[in-house]
Amino acid sequence: MTTQTSVENYKSADKSEYILEVKNLVKRFPIKGGILGREVASVKAVNDVTFSIKRGETLGLVGESGCGKTTLGRSILRLIEPTSGQVMFDGVDVTKLGPKEMREMRRRMQLIFQDPYASLNPRMTIGAILNEPLEIHGLFMGKGEREKRLYQLLDYVQLPKDALNKYPHEFSGGQRQRICIARALAVEPDFIVCDEPVSALDVSVQAQVINLLMDLQKELKLTYLFIAHDLKVVEFISNRVAVMYLGNVVEVANSAEIYGHCRHPYTKALFSAIPNPDPTIKKERILLEGDIPSPMNPPPGCHFNPRCWQATEECRKSYPEVSSASATHQYRCSNPIQ
Amino acid sequence: MSEKILEVKDLVVQFRTDRGRITAVNGVSFDLYKGKTLGIVGESGSGKSVTALAVMRLIPNPPGEITSGQILYRGQDLLKMPMDGMRKIRGNKIAMIFQEPMTSLNPVFTIGNQIEEVIALHQDDVSSKDRRDKGIELLQMVGIPSPEKRYFEYPHQLSGGMRQRVMIAMSLACKPDILIADEPTTALDVTIQAQILELMKKLQDELGMAIIMITHDLGVVAETCDDVAVMYCGQMVEKSDLRSVFQKPLHPYTNGLLHSIPHYDSTRDKTKGRLPTIEGMVPSLFDLPPGCSFQDRCKNASEDCRGKKGNPTLKALAPGHEVSCFNPMN
Repeated sequence: MTTQTSVENYKSADKSEYILEVKNLVKRFPIKGGILGREVASVKAVNDVTFSIKRGETLGLVGESGCGKTTLGRSILRLIEPTSGQVMFDGVDVTKLGPKEMREMRRRMQLIFQDPYASLNPRMTIGAILNEPLEIHGLFMGKGEREKRLYQLLDYVQLPKDALNKYPHEFSGGQRQRICIARALAVEPDFIVCDEPVSALDVSVQAQVINLLMDLQKELKLTYLFIAHDLKVVEFISNRVAVMYLGNVVEVANSAEIYGHCRHPYTKALFSAIPNPDPTIKKERILLEGDIPSPMNPPPGCHFNPRCWQATEECRKSYPEVSSASATHQYRCSNPIQ
Repeated sequence: MSEKILEVKDLVVQFRTDRGRITAVNGVSFDLYKGKTLGIVGESGSGKSVTALAVMRLIPNPPGEITSGQILYRGQDLLKMPMDGMRKIRGNKIAMIFQEPMTSLNPVFTIGNQIEEVIALHQDDVSSKDRRDKGIELLQMVGIPSPEKRYFEYPHQLSGGMRQRVMIAMSLACKPDILIADEPTTALDVTIQAQILELMKKLQDELGMAIIMITHDLGVVAETCDDVAVMYCGQMVEKSDLRSVFQKPLHPYTNGLLHSIPHYDSTRDKTKGRLPTIEGMVPSLFDLPPGCSFQDRCKNASEDCRGKKGNPTLKALAPGHEVSCFNPMN
């Protein structure tokens, strides 16, 4: 693979264990109303989130719709401008970079979207789609080199060479998702945010794409932030899992720890709600009452208290601080599961 | 064995397209018993939803057409019934809920209005005052908090889970014998999905209706169904009771499907292996290979499967366990 001179500076600067450190990240969306268009309220989609991802690992991010998973993923890449907080990528604070530096940085951070039907331009051939990021970042400039790179990309995602001259509509959902993956890989990123990459696919195709993502991670030493609502998939692919509820990360731990012994009642309820594909197991199910409260007007204290069966007076008063069950297991709950 | 209330025999549904006719449902047969749940599983395009729509006779014609087969509801063939009679059954005896609770409710009417409409259509002896009481009672039954208030609200004021509850309330307004649920929880979050599945089970116990549960989620099937039918490219490839299908799948497709789910299991070995997959893709209905439709993706495929022995049909290999395959799993 060719070396990138300008970005190498970042790479060599700091080789800490963590490739990404998110500190106190907040994203607030204002709601404007009235004839003057003043801000009348705001939604805290991401509320004081702190976590970090090690090099080469996969952090799974789970939660129900509206909990802020996607907003978090996009604020890290600054596709949505975060309101406050820090995003340290390889020791550089991404939120402070200027537009030019940011573009340089984005070469190393890529995104795969949920819907492979909506995220490919129907008027561009696959060749043009894969060529665009290389063009923008000025990579593989020689003609022969460029062509070799395109074939290599198709090879990574196991698509035939003649795909280059075809259009997105000629491919099935699974193949399109492979194209999206190839596009993300084109610029040799280190870190990829996978935003529900397999939710729109059928079960048999889903397994193929999951295997592909895991193989590529090994081969290219990638780091993933894997956002999904399917807990079975997340458990399978992730080294660590973070659970979000109403804009906060409520629990984060190693995959084995969190599935084996979670501390936060929400995590427990979420896992118990997964339908089990084994009819012989009769599970004890915790049925949560009600819906997720509106993030515009979250309940005081712990946001989960109206649905929690363990809630006490304390939970209704103050938002719990981070506690640790072990070095790798943190949670935010005043009455954790023992 | 409880009473058989629906019997579908050799149902064939075709669609005319610019590229010729395609057979979306090809010779599907199944029975449905009172108080039981039949799960129809398959990937997108396998013909699950078309089967369900055919039972309701809601296949848009043109381009679709039910070309042969019988759908017997309590011995009466629905396909021979005049539209007038069908209207009395649809929504009244056989009701359906859809995947998208957002798009299946009318945004410009209150939910109370829409529930009352069902009652007014099918039970003309109920006065308008009683209709309202009944509507509120239905909302209460499906667990909507403060139903008197919600009754006058519009669909956009409700969450996804609440809308699906309203859909269920509407479908139950006439106490149907059969409820067809087409991916009822696919658009919902897991915690809400658990609520809705629990609710459906509770209502089934109370009202004794039969449910056809159409889904692609094998977890949902395992938790809710008594019997399972697996569809692939318009055909039923395997049919049996829940345990047999999950514990001893006979069709290579069912077997592959079950193994490709990352099992959520806290006791599982954490050494990350690869997921077993089914190679390739679902073939296009326009050019199905001769013989078994699954042959190109099948590990057991032999010459027999490539058309030498014709098309495989459902055969019982164990009591009550039917599979259409020349080389089943052993």
